[in-house]
Amino acid sequence: MTPDTFFKVLGKKPWRTAYWQPSRRPDDGRYAENPNRVQKHNQFQVILKPVPENGQELYLNSLQFLGVEIRNHDIKFDEDNWASPSLGAWGVGWQVMCDGLEITQFTYFQQAGGIELNPKSLEITYGIERLASFLEQKSNIYDLSWSNNVSYGELRTEEEKQFSVYNFETADIEMLRELYMLYNKEAIRLLELELYLPAFDYVLKCSHAFNILDARKAVSVAERTSFLASMRDLASQTAKLYILKTEGKNG
Amino acid sequence: MAEFLFELGVEEVPVSYVKDIMDQLIKGFTNSLIQKRIEIGAIETAMTNRRFLLFFNNISSVSGAKSEQVKGPSREIAFDEDQNPTKALEKFLETNGIKESDLEEIETKKGIYLGFTREDKGDDTKALLSKLIPEILDKMFFNKTMTWNSSGKSFVRPIRNLLAIFNGKTIDFQFAGITSSNITNGHRLLSEEKIRISSFQEYCEQMSQNFVIFSEEERKDKILTEIKDLEKDLGLKVQMTDKMLEYYVFNNEYPVVFAGKFDEQYLDLPSEIISTFMINEKKLVPVYDKSEKLTNIFAGVSNVPDESESVSKGNEKVIRATFEDAKFFWDNDRNDDFEALREGLKNVMFQKDLGTFHEKSIRIKEISELLSELSGNTEQTKNIGAAAELCKNDLLTRMVGEFPSLQGIMGGLYLKEKGIERDIWETVYYHYEPKGFVEDELESLNAGILSIGDKIDNIVGLISKGIKVSSSKDPYGIRRDTSAIIKIIVDFKLNFDLKPVIEFTINKFGIAVEDRGKILKVITSLFSARMEHFLKDLLFIDNDVVNSVIKSNTLFIYKIYLRTKAVSEVSKSSSIHHLIEVHKRVRNIIKDSEILAVSDTFLVEPEEKVLFEIINETRSGTEKLLRDNDYIEACSNFIDMKPVVDNFFEKVLVMDKNENIRKNRIGLLQKINELFLQIADFSILTEKD
Repeated sequence: MTPDTFFKVLGKKPWRTAYWQPSRRPDDGRYAENPNRVQKHNQFQVILKPVPENGQELYLNSLQFLGVEIRNHDIKFDEDNWASPSLGAWGVGWQVMCDGLEITQFTYFQQAGGIELNPKSLEITYGIERLASFLEQKSNIYDLSWSNNVSYGELRTEEEKQFSVYNFETADIEMLRELYMLYNKEAIRLLELELYLPAFDYVLKCSHAFNILDARKAVSVAERTSFLASMRDLASQTAKLYILKTEGKNG
Repeated sequence: MAEFLFELGVEEVPVSYVKDIMDQLIKGFTNSLIQKRIEIGAIETAMTNRRFLLFFNNISSVSGAKSEQVKGPSREIAFDEDQNPTKALEKFLETNGIKESDLEEIETKKGIYLGFTREDKGDDTKALLSKLIPEILDKMFFNKTMTWNSSGKSFVRPIRNLLAIFNGKTIDFQFAGITSSNITNGHRLLSEEKIRISSFQEYCEQMSQNFVIFSEEERKDKILTEIKDLEKDLGLKVQMTDKMLEYYVFNNEYPVVFAGKFDEQYLDLPSEIISTFMINEKKLVPVYDKSEKLTNIFAGVSNVPDESESVSKGNEKVIRATFEDAKFFWDNDRNDDFEALREGLKNVMFQKDLGTFHEKSIRIKEISELLSELSGNTEQTKNIGAAAELCKNDLLTRMVGEFPSLQGIMGGLYLKEKGIERDIWETVYYHYEPKGFVEDELESLNAGILSIGDKIDNIVGLISKGIKVSSSKDPYGIRRDTSAIIKIIVDFKLNFDLKPVIEFTINKFGIAVEDRGKILKVITSLFSARMEHFLKDLLFIDNDVVNSVIKSNTLFIYKIYLRTKAVSEVSKSSSIHHLIEVHKRVRNIIKDSEILAVSDTFLVEPEEKVLFEIINETRSGTEKLLRDNDYIEACSNFIDMKPVVDNFFEKVLVMDKNENIRKNRIGLLQKINELFLQIADFSILTEKD
């Protein structure tokens, strides 16, 4: 989650934003062998705060704008509640399925950094690869065209293979644990200096180090709880500091 | 009389909430309207994941008139010494908006009170509804809710539309930032218009024109008919479970069945994995051939007609990625040494304060081995122990991490892949089964025994932690586990007492000696309660029969089952009234007196000597019958005692003046009672016609 989402959903100020972002999930790597699951994908992120009354209609219109004939496809809002335990964030909503393909996560954000949001935000996260494969009628995202003469596969296959090997097989566990501790310490130091933006950056670094450790199966169940608790604590302090700095009160 | 139509329009609520929302609406409307003395007539309802419809076609237009006496302070309190109204009376007058002259005296047992008669002429129903509907909606309650706008109202998903029409006119009110109207909408994808409604008739027409089949029964019929057609076309069988059917019925306003194919190479994956991924990940159902073999066809339900086949083709593409994922987990997990995963269980908590899954696996090995010995399954004890040690390893596999519902099944499959013998892998595979009373019987006794062992460990552990169970609250599934144990015992005719097993388990948890008795008691009553439910509600045995047996509070489940069946049988015969009569007479005399000894010396009359003899005779004969579970024969022996008992009552006076003789006679009757209670308390049975 980028600062443009994490911070802007906090506090009272209305906010509307839309941006592209890459998203990394080490555990989702498949050595470039799965037609639509990858450890790094692209998403188009929309935040609407406060929640509009016609969010679903706006969303369906956006699909039509992209060229999806909604009358001919089975588009479903299927229960899927989003949560990020490491950032103390959760929401209620759906995964949007199009002919069985998950193309979007549609979430009414309820909390971030452990703080109850007021007003609430609507977060729409379009899965770019999934949407593109639907629009290009490709069953494998590696066959998508990135530009007129470069395919997605040409651009990304090697990266997916190498990162799958790294995430699942060779990532240095000891080093990652050390890094986690260092990132964690730095975040605490930055919070003391009231620099919430770089502090949040280090919370994200913690989260990524943890995710690789997890993909490496290096995290026991008991440890997981304490990792998540320490990140959640940092996220919550960061969120409180942001509110204090921007609205002058302790959230 | 009038027509009242209400439709709650929401963004897609999860299927699991649909029925609950409707139940709460029905209850809310019925209670509020009845309270206001409005005759409601019949209610028609319909629900999808986007709309909840209530239709009253014969509701009264005004609420009933009512006159009601309202009681105030007592006369003493109402006036002071100078007969002036006190504060208490003034307050009463003020809150009710009445004058002193409106007061009347009300005589009660506690003396004279002051009050008045409130005349309620009845209100206009439509006006009342505009006040009641927001109240009804506000009272709805769900476990997981959200808020979405500044109204702060919470619901399962955002409420977006409130249609409320009374005899063609809109009922005006506001709720959650929405103003009620006579407008609704059609199908999410197939209809764009806002639809104006003035009557139920019009609602039906408009919905059908706008691709909404609002009746859940109609949608269900449509799906089932189309599935049948598909099966006929293909010559195959679609495996539609109740759960999936409900999902399809409530998740689509215009359901259309479609089918597709996947690459045959994926059929190399175990069929359990294929169907789990299909159902859970893709909400598609598997299709089998006539010999029950999984095919490479799937079926699903779309919310739009699939004339261009884009829905089925799309799903075909997507299912490939899903199976690739399944293959990834399956291949990855098999690369691990499955048996070695047990070490990792040392890091996995079973329950807070109850140790790790590694410790659990040690306990259930010992419990299951004991169970195996008790059930006479001795030659399999070693295999059951081996299965118990391995049965939780799959919690550490990727596959179970992704799909917890595959626990047990995956452990079994990974062991099978490793060439472990069937008696072990099958035991692991099925050890979470059954999930309750109404499930298929297990085939493997080994699995049944391990399942009991695992569940006894759950029950004893959780109860010892102080977890409480009630009919509405059972987050850890203790009741379900108890039911499953009863089912396994009955299905496999496991003729042993659970008490020593429970005590053994209590020991294993290292529970303080002074708490052990209490925990055993809680568990015994838990089993009795589930047993009672099983016998009464699932086997339909008469309540009095079940009550006559269940009170004995034992953990010898199989004997309770057989005793109840036998008493039920005997209670249908004509001779049952002899038993009832004898037992009643006996109990009437002994009442609750302390247990008294019987001694030869105080037997005076011949009739009581004969009775003593026959009691001893019957008791020794019954002993073996009870051991062999031949309760019908034992009952018939009891019945045979009747003439002797009758003779005793006729000729002998129990309440003799001599205390020793009197006590001796009561002791005799206690022995009869004791004997009978080994099967049932016949005195509480009622005779059948």
